[in-house]
Amino acid sequence: MAPAYHLILEGILILWIIRLLFSKTYKLHDTYKLTEREKEDLIEEWQPDLLVPPVSKDHSSLKYDVVSGPPSHKIIVNGKECINFASFNFLGLLDNERVKEKALMSLKKYGVGTCGPRGFYGTFDVHLELESRLAKFMKTEEAIIYSYGFATIASAIPAYSKRGDIIFVDEAACFAIQKGLQASRSFIKYFKHNDMEDLERLLKEQELEDQKNPRKARVTRKFIVVEGMYINTADICPLPELVKPLSSAVL
Amino acid sequence: MTESAATKLLNGDACRRTLNRKSPSKNGYVKNHCLFQQSQKCRRSGDKLSFLVPQRQNATHNPSLYKKPFVESFEETPLLVAVLTYMGYGILTVFGYLRDFLRHWNIEKCHVARERDEQKDFVPLYQDFENFYTRNLYMRIRDNWNRPICSVPGAKMDLVERVTHNYNWTFEHTGKVVKDVINMGSYNYLGFAENTGTCADAAIETTQKYGVGVGSTRSEMGNLDIHEEMEELVARFLGVESSMTFGMGFATNSMNIPALTGKGCLILSDELNHASLVLGARLSGSTIRVFKHNNMQSLEKLLRDAIVHGQPRTHRPWKKILIVVEGIYSMEGSIVRLPEVIALKKRYKAYLYLDEAHSIGALGPGGRGVVDYFGLDPKDVDIMMGTFTKSFGAAGGYIGGKKELIDYLRSYSHSALYATSMSPPVAQQIITSMKIIMGEDGTTLGADRLKQLSENTNYFRRRLREMGFIIYGNDDSPVVPLMLYMPAKIGAFGREMLKRNIGTVVVGFPATPIIESRARFCVSAAHTREMLDTALEAISEVGDLLQLKYSRREQALSSLGWMAEESLLQD
Repeated sequence: MAPAYHLILEGILILWIIRLLFSKTYKLHDTYKLTEREKEDLIEEWQPDLLVPPVSKDHSSLKYDVVSGPPSHKIIVNGKECINFASFNFLGLLDNERVKEKALMSLKKYGVGTCGPRGFYGTFDVHLELESRLAKFMKTEEAIIYSYGFATIASAIPAYSKRGDIIFVDEAACFAIQKGLQASRSFIKYFKHNDMEDLERLLKEQELEDQKNPRKARVTRKFIVVEGMYINTADICPLPELVKPLSSAVL
Repeated sequence: MTESAATKLLNGDACRRTLNRKSPSKNGYVKNHCLFQQSQKCRRSGDKLSFLVPQRQNATHNPSLYKKPFVESFEETPLLVAVLTYMGYGILTVFGYLRDFLRHWNIEKCHVARERDEQKDFVPLYQDFENFYTRNLYMRIRDNWNRPICSVPGAKMDLVERVTHNYNWTFEHTGKVVKDVINMGSYNYLGFAENTGTCADAAIETTQKYGVGVGSTRSEMGNLDIHEEMEELVARFLGVESSMTFGMGFATNSMNIPALTGKGCLILSDELNHASLVLGARLSGSTIRVFKHNNMQSLEKLLRDAIVHGQPRTHRPWKKILIVVEGIYSMEGSIVRLPEVIALKKRYKAYLYLDEAHSIGALGPGGRGVVDYFGLDPKDVDIMMGTFTKSFGAAGGYIGGKKELIDYLRSYSHSALYATSMSPPVAQQIITSMKIIMGEDGTTLGADRLKQLSENTNYFRRRLREMGFIIYGNDDSPVVPLMLYMPAKIGAFGREMLKRNIGTVVVGFPATPIIESRARFCVSAAHTREMLDTALEAISEVGDLLQLKYSRREQALSSLGWMAEESLLQD
């Protein structure tokens, strides 16, 4: 038989619990809830920025130079005939007669547009032929073509490299590569332009990190992205030196 | 049929009652997304939508915003079908694991791409699990996609015959050609995919004059006089102050949204927006919030919360709010509720980005897109974007709007500064086809084609509904999704239709939710009534063979016309 004060204490505790259960809960949010009137005022007061900031009237890109006539090694800009040192026409194929003839033949057979993506009747036999020829030309197993040059590398990088992977990129990479890197959400590590020692230093650092955490390293893919010829600095990447350490490093 | 019924009942609340209103005694609940009837389930609780809703319990949309009936339907999946679909996927998954096991122990030959021997200790490029769906489910029915063609993708096309000897892992071309397959898959709404006629001749002339390539960006040496002419024409066509064109439709979105918004801005995008819009929004760095598909209550709630509470955590006011919607959603066939979106945008001072990839040229009495279809002012839409791939038979995209906007884009858009400009014959094709649609070439070809397209659309949709298929989307959209649901039927439908010489597009996961796989037809102005009839017969045959006629709606008796709805109203 328990002593009396035990029972009284337990009784008081039970009554206290019952009181807590039935009392009104005191939510802190209540003090911050806005009334309808205040919400309407806020909505009235809010002013967004202009959709686009004003561009000064003499911004250089505002007025494009108008080219009339075919762009080839001689080009007519704003009515004046000039020698063309501005277009990318390395092999001079922009006004090649054979190319034009074949283009006209294909136009007469297929029309201008493909009216659909590759998956839904937008694949033509010429696409497949081009891909197999490209693969043979580049001495690879297969090739794939894109209709927009910028989109090629910007789509290819996020297709392989996902969140959590690591990409080592040259500092002078072109804008399309930068957009691809941004879309991939991976870790980006820049190495100095064409500096193979810097790249090796970064790779060694990464190797140490991997050894510290081998489980994570087993699922992290690593890529190196370089350009053959850099559009920003006009030099060529040292490919032989790049490929050599790859075969020895554990990547 | 729909039009005459609606015009008679134009005044009063009883208008816009759709034809597929069921009496409550029948089982099978049909969700009507028409702007009058809002079921209790869909109503948002708590929030007083003070703007769109007059102070009543039932959330009704404002019917006076719409000049003609907005009839959309998304019939719910029947329960038995849903259960069977899940079971189907379950069985496929079990078999997938079995095959993986066999491949791992080399009992079965492995065709999956593997790393080379010297790269064996590299981290694999694709984790086994990510690729599970592709290896085991997609591979089985892969022959329905990427079918190569070798003619114009017009109303009829020639397919290259291919066979596979190892269950779709590799294909071989037999060298034969399947001729005259009716094309229900290409986006050829106005029939401009042709290799003869004014467009083709003009393109040929331009190729001879300018060559094929440009070799430079717009801001450098790539701005030809033909580009300027095209942009001025596009601006006139849309009814905006000025416009700018780009070489690829996808890239238009992904490169220009980052130029317009940045950190501190809010993007409100529809649930079912295209990948290019999602990519552009992500690359811009703004906060993205998603509202339910075509649901104005959801959008209004998000807008109010955003303005009242500001940025998350800091509560600073947002710099800009951008609402991103599409004209026609290609997987659902639904049309955006543009009058309501514009009303919301004006009230809450947000900006509107309208992506008319499928709707430009295909909707509206003048072919000028969804703005024309609803009879609204193009100046209300801040940024009108569209592509030339679908209705104009060319390639590329455009953005139209006020002069300040386009001037800003000329200087700051990624595409103008880094990407090559459009090729001259493509630009010429756009110019010619746009002139035909506007009627400026002196013939009525454009007007005829627009009329033909809308007639074809209405006819096709009506016949499919009558046959008993479940068709999603708006009654006026030329994109017609037909529900298949079960994974095996995806492959079977595509193959059976090809046997009957009709090329269709079937879509499954991940483009659609996993149980809602569908076949999608794109009606074109180039289809004649006979072609549509042949196609419909074949679809009906395949539908009976595969038991696809799921719809449990009662068809309104067409002979009674609007009297039928009157009697249902009295229920």
